[in-house]
Amino acid sequence: MEKAIKKFWPVFILPTLAAFIIGFIWPFIWGIGLSFCKFTTVKNVQFVGLDNYFKIWQDNTFVHAFVFTTAFTIVSTVLINVLGFTLALLLTRHVRGTNIFRTVYFMPNLIGGVVLGYIWQTLLNGLLTVLEKPLITLNATYGFWGIVILMCWQQIGYMMIIYIAGLQNVPTDLIEAARIDGATSRQVLTRVKIPMVMPSITICTFLTLTNSFKLFDQNLSLTGGEPAKASQMLALNIYDTFYARSGAQWKGIGQAKAVVFFLAVVVIALIQLRLTRSKEVQQ
Amino acid sequence: MKAKKLLSLGIAGTMAVALLAGCSSSGSSSSAASSGDTATSEASAASTTAAGKVYYLNFKPEQDEQWQALAKVYTEQTGVPVTVVTAASGEYETTLMSEMAKSDAPTLFQVNGPIGLANWKDYCYDLTGSDILGQLTSDTYALKDGDATLGIGYVIESYGLITNKTLLEKAGYTIDDIKSFEDLKKVAEDITARQDELGFAAFTSAGMDSSSDWRYKTHLANLPIYFEYQDEGITSTDAIKGTYLDNYKNIFDLYINNSTCAPTELAGKTADDSRNEFLAGEAVFYQNGSWEYVNLTQDGTFTDDDLAMIPIYFGVGDEANQGLCTGTENYWCVNSEAPEEDIQATLDFINWCVTSEEGTKAMANDMGFVIPFKGAQESSNVFVKQDQEMTAAGKTPVSWNFTTMPSENWKNGVGSALTAYAAGTGDWDGVVTAFVDGWATEAALNATA
Amino acid sequence: MQNSKNTKRVNAVISVVLGLLCVAYVYPIVLILLNSLKQERAISTTRIFELPSSETFVRLQNYIYGITSMDFLSSFWYSLFISVSSVLLILLCCSMCAWYITRVHGKLSTGMYYLCVFSMVVPFQMVMFTLAKTADTLKLNTPYNICIIYLGFGAGLAVFMFTGFMKSMPVEIEEAAMIDGCNPLQIFFRVVCPILKPTMISTAILETMWVWNDYLLPTLVLDIKKYRTIPMAIQYFRGSYGKVEMGPMMACIMLTVLPVVILYLVCQKYIIEGVVAGAVKG
Repeated sequence: MEKAIKKFWPVFILPTLAAFIIGFIWPFIWGIGLSFCKFTTVKNVQFVGLDNYFKIWQDNTFVHAFVFTTAFTIVSTVLINVLGFTLALLLTRHVRGTNIFRTVYFMPNLIGGVVLGYIWQTLLNGLLTVLEKPLITLNATYGFWGIVILMCWQQIGYMMIIYIAGLQNVPTDLIEAARIDGATSRQVLTRVKIPMVMPSITICTFLTLTNSFKLFDQNLSLTGGEPAKASQMLALNIYDTFYARSGAQWKGIGQAKAVVFFLAVVVIALIQLRLTRSKEVQQ
Repeated sequence: MKAKKLLSLGIAGTMAVALLAGCSSSGSSSSAASSGDTATSEASAASTTAAGKVYYLNFKPEQDEQWQALAKVYTEQTGVPVTVVTAASGEYETTLMSEMAKSDAPTLFQVNGPIGLANWKDYCYDLTGSDILGQLTSDTYALKDGDATLGIGYVIESYGLITNKTLLEKAGYTIDDIKSFEDLKKVAEDITARQDELGFAAFTSAGMDSSSDWRYKTHLANLPIYFEYQDEGITSTDAIKGTYLDNYKNIFDLYINNSTCAPTELAGKTADDSRNEFLAGEAVFYQNGSWEYVNLTQDGTFTDDDLAMIPIYFGVGDEANQGLCTGTENYWCVNSEAPEEDIQATLDFINWCVTSEEGTKAMANDMGFVIPFKGAQESSNVFVKQDQEMTAAGKTPVSWNFTTMPSENWKNGVGSALTAYAAGTGDWDGVVTAFVDGWATEAALNATA
Repeated sequence: MQNSKNTKRVNAVISVVLGLLCVAYVYPIVLILLNSLKQERAISTTRIFELPSSETFVRLQNYIYGITSMDFLSSFWYSLFISVSSVLLILLCCSMCAWYITRVHGKLSTGMYYLCVFSMVVPFQMVMFTLAKTADTLKLNTPYNICIIYLGFGAGLAVFMFTGFMKSMPVEIEEAAMIDGCNPLQIFFRVVCPILKPTMISTAILETMWVWNDYLLPTLVLDIKKYRTIPMAIQYFRGSYGKVEMGPMMACIMLTVLPVVILYLVCQKYIIEGVVAGAVKG
């Protein structure tokens, strides 16, 4: 059969491969190339070696964005997963209204980034005014927690669904056996349930981690990086460097920042996968 | 069963799509004429043989509609398609960057002066010998790089404190009572003291939303720069000293403490809010420019007799002879990378704009511009007339030195610091740092380019 | 007995708490809905929590203005067309590609698979400029063919999800079909596709959410002289023409959110199942 399918490769693989080359491979390689160049448009590209990579650190916004993004990623990943898992535990207890709750909690996930940002900006600014505090674009700390709240609101439902599925897959006889052996509910949770849903935890942390680290739309619309770029995350910082700053040198620097950003994402993804995979129970 | 359900769902979906398709095509055709944000005036182009086309990336959001209309007239007359796209406020640089990289790049774009030109000079067509250059009334409006003329200033504008004379009289003053910063302060603080009784405030809200903070981070910030340049006898610098930042603070304090709203609310306010307050008679003074004339008078809220523009008194130098801030930050550049026929079409278009009856009229009346070209029409703009009167009376206009600000980034830094200062989350030192240190940093970055 | 009574009581408390949380979850959207019916000046930060009163209630005025001034209907149409065409194309091409990868072993398959996994971690900012330029050169800058760009950039996730599922699919049925004289195309559409349905749905959901809500890619790639998608239009309400039109902006947010919410409520079973299937298999 393999041979028969192989003959059909132009039908099966070629369209995707072609689009993939146009939409990803070529731009990616070209992007790496441009990070070593100075350019405004592609007509006046000038090779400058590693210059751009040194210049990244000249303006301190990138380092700041890096720290801000890292802090945000850690906080939001922990919060989203802990809360999502808690909700999943509560919703697998067969309480009244489970279906409605599940439906409602999942809903925000379908609303888009830019729109979400504006919805929450309106709400949070209203709240801050009532509390007689400065608006969200004036204080980076509020901005930080604003984005955290927004991301929790958006992502908890999604993770919750995955955790529910994971919990439902834990064999009931396993839990019962543990109970008969005299395990308390807490022990059942930590010794049986959590190890058994480790694959779900892997997926969820992976998803939240990369989503948070690469966040752009919500950052752009909720705070726009204000005040003075203090709430700017990496993706926005790169966009800002690339498009909003005039001057021929900035595009190359922006592209170099993007390469560093990309490497950081790869490293984080690898570490995270290795860490959680090693804890998974072989089923 | 399941498959059937899905199928019916799919059919329903397709029908919905088809329905919506029907809706939107009728919807967009009817609204295209009225809105036309991105509408292309290509209507009659099909039948003609005109080779070139014009794509104008407009900088001034206030005049978007008027440009769309003017482009349409030109297309009807000549058959040359003219597309006008207006970048959202504060996003001109972003849009220009992104558009210039495309194959169908703008043929006509704007830079804001020497600093802006430095970034784009490789893309500017040399206008030496072109018809439009010959139309300029003064060589000072040509933006040069060496021997080449790369940009043409197409509008001269003035800004200052737009004053509602009627309200000012109600408060017991006339514009002749205000001849210095001290006078202005006295009047403003008196109005604030009697605000409840009078029913209006001195200043409209100094909206610091990022779409609107240019009134303070750029226009108001021009004054300390102007007076410092005057002192030093220079026209640009890599390191600003900030000699007059205290005066900058004084006037900004005056704005935010004698305003229609609490300083903490300013971060979310826009220039639009500010204008609406002025239109509603909630405040006497409104810092803005001659381009606001059309907005203030078009629906009959104000007549020419109600309005005046007074200089932004700064407490420095010979205040009695200070004029309005007059200059330009709008230079047209033609994209040298565009195809030959498009460059020609663009040159023809801008020349038509400043020489033809329709063009000059639209620019003078609809847009409220004073244009530095021979064919310019007398402007009906009362602020423009005032500027001419003041200059004739021997007052010295304050020139626009914000074209020498090192970068957009610098302006944004000052804007953020000002906003934080107004809201009380930052102090004035933050503004000083952003102003002085930020200038040096940005100038150094420009130098390494 | 005692124990189950206790559980019941605890469950009731949990129900109430979760119910309250539900209200908190829906509130932001309700807030926008209420404000979209109010007058512009009643939407300032100080008055945002006020309900529309007879004085500030403007009926659908904001909606009408928002729709006409921003040409919202054509934005809606572009967004819809881009989403539907891109997702259909992604589903079709990527499932075929994934089947090839799982059934044919060779350098092409392995290479393609690892490239897809790799592309999932690459942030968009890495390719934003070069992708926009490539799309511009190839004239893939209209809503009617931008789906090719989406296929290219979205292929990674889809192929990854499909192969994850297909690895567990028994090869015997397909072999039987081959013996019956089917060619690979027939096998794929008649045998493989029906089995793939749950994964199709979950992939479709993920990709739809991405494409429908995407802001940066269309902003950079589309010909802005002519086309604007919904997220772009909403961004334009802010800072466009030196003002922020809160009323119409909120109206347009509602018009964007409502279809999605309705669609979700109608087919939530498939959506939730799809998410689960995608996550467990992926």
